[in-house]
Amino acid sequence: MVKVVKSPKKGLVRSAIGHFRAITEVAKVVVNPGTITVHYPRERRKYPENFRGMIMFEKEDCISCFRCAHICPANAIQMYPDDEGRYYPGIDYAKCIFCHFCVDSCPTAALKQSKIHDVAYKDVDSMSVTPEEMDNVPEIVREDAVTVEYDFDRDIRLVKRKEVENLLVEVDKPERPEFKAVPQYGENCIGCRLCMFSCPVNAIRSKLEETKVILETDYDRCTGCGICVRICPTEVLILTPVEREGDHQ
Amino acid sequence: MTIPKGWVSIEVKELEDLPCLRFAEKPERTSSWRLLKEKVVDAGICSHCGTCTICPVDLIILEDRPLDFDPKKGCMGCGVCVAVCPRYKYVPLNGVGDYIEALAGKSKRFVGQDGAMVSEFMASALEMGVIDVALFVARDEFFRPFVVHVRSPEELLDRKITGTKYSFASVMPELHRIIKRGDRIGFIGTPCMISGLRKVQEKIPLYKKNVPLAVALFCTENFYWHQLYDFLKERGADLREAEKTDITKGNFIVTFRDGSEFTIPVKEMEEIVPEGCHVCQDFSGVESDVSIGSVGSDPGFSTVLVRTSVAKKVLDFMMKKEYIETGKAKMKIVQRLCDFKIKIHPYSPEEEKGEESEKEGSKE
Repeated sequence: MVKVVKSPKKGLVRSAIGHFRAITEVAKVVVNPGTITVHYPRERRKYPENFRGMIMFEKEDCISCFRCAHICPANAIQMYPDDEGRYYPGIDYAKCIFCHFCVDSCPTAALKQSKIHDVAYKDVDSMSVTPEEMDNVPEIVREDAVTVEYDFDRDIRLVKRKEVENLLVEVDKPERPEFKAVPQYGENCIGCRLCMFSCPVNAIRSKLEETKVILETDYDRCTGCGICVRICPTEVLILTPVEREGDHQ
Repeated sequence: MTIPKGWVSIEVKELEDLPCLRFAEKPERTSSWRLLKEKVVDAGICSHCGTCTICPVDLIILEDRPLDFDPKKGCMGCGVCVAVCPRYKYVPLNGVGDYIEALAGKSKRFVGQDGAMVSEFMASALEMGVIDVALFVARDEFFRPFVVHVRSPEELLDRKITGTKYSFASVMPELHRIIKRGDRIGFIGTPCMISGLRKVQEKIPLYKKNVPLAVALFCTENFYWHQLYDFLKERGADLREAEKTDITKGNFIVTFRDGSEFTIPVKEMEEIVPEGCHVCQDFSGVESDVSIGSVGSDPGFSTVLVRTSVAKKVLDFMMKKEYIETGKAKMKIVQRLCDFKIKIHPYSPEEEKGEESEKEGSKE
């Protein structure tokens, strides 16, 4: 059995009411346009502070701990060696999925987020950014003079403000317990000096005294990155939290 | 908190018979690696125990061939390989050694080479909590040995883990790899490996802390796996079909899955005995916590020589739980084998090679 669907009956009065409603709606929009479209790039949405955009890098804060490179799920971060034997991250934006795991894992906030997301690259090669280039803020053409924000009070509404937003985010340096690599079990040392070679801040020095290798840590330089602790083959070094300044030495 | 200012590495004064460089930016002719190369490897007394794989830059790796390494690939001249080498300044150990108790034992739980006492010892130690993990050697379908971690006694029911392989296995490299984990490790090895372990323990206290139990296996000689495999294949015994290998009464016996046996006198295997075994006189693992082997007990039993209090505790635990049947060990036969090994493997620093070899000897 085929069920026949009939169109509803339209009376003259009903269609008149329908037309009237449509005309009032148009009149409303003509008087007060209520669009929620953002006129990018003349307008720009106001993004939250933790927006996951392009990643900024400050070389001074980096301790070459490799955490960003290890955690990157897209394998987009490569560590580039520099002349001093330290390693700094460079991001391949062709691979980056903007998960910001690297930013979250960075213990010194050397990597930090920004609100820049609309960078154009001319070719694929230039998308892989070296540490030197990462210091620079990526160049973008900005035409926006207005910041737009959605207001969800009763209805979705656009709030427009005449202001130019700073796309760079200032991040407070995280407060974290200070660690030092302390030779807890010096008797285990085999004198291989891997710790000395691996130390990114050259805090460990060695000297030869007859047939013994004597290693020394400069605790003022030690950043507690833990590279030497991981690399030591016989567990001489232990990462120890420093309780208070002046407590040690 | 007091932070020590400096830390001092192990002394290598004993290495100083060559004008050797303790550390070098790059390896030179005077670096300490040379001692290992000249005095041990090239002198032909390397026992292939693998203690030197402690090498912090992983330059020395243990393979199924005589030890070889290229210092140009990043040697830092730390000298730790020489410092822990049991064959550097080699003084042969021999004899039965001191022991607290000697008995023959047979495990009720496991099936092994003879009495499966090594498996039983480690299983009991795991149960007691003396150790967290035991390093065993299992075999693959080619009878090739590889190291496995055993963390519970049930895993030892696998017949591939128990039983002797008569080939060098990379137990020492595995020990060096996992030593930092903090697990207490039960170590099983031939007497040369035990000597290596004791030397590492003496130099580096970390190993003393983490390796509380070391079991030695009675040993006259050991083989490279590929040589043993080829040797037996040439003579028509395919190790792929084998279920068990054994050395009894001077014969190397391969038992196959279908029950047939292949027998060859060990005397004829002389050509594949590694160089390092020719200078080894330690039959019973003098330095171990407990030595176990088939020599000196009835068929189906293993001789157990308990040497330290740790091993004694484990043995008492086994007795209390009645995991083992005990018998009497004939120490005379063990003593005879020890003397025999000294006779066939004479060693003096002037370098002499033992000509003939063999007799009965077996390792579990």
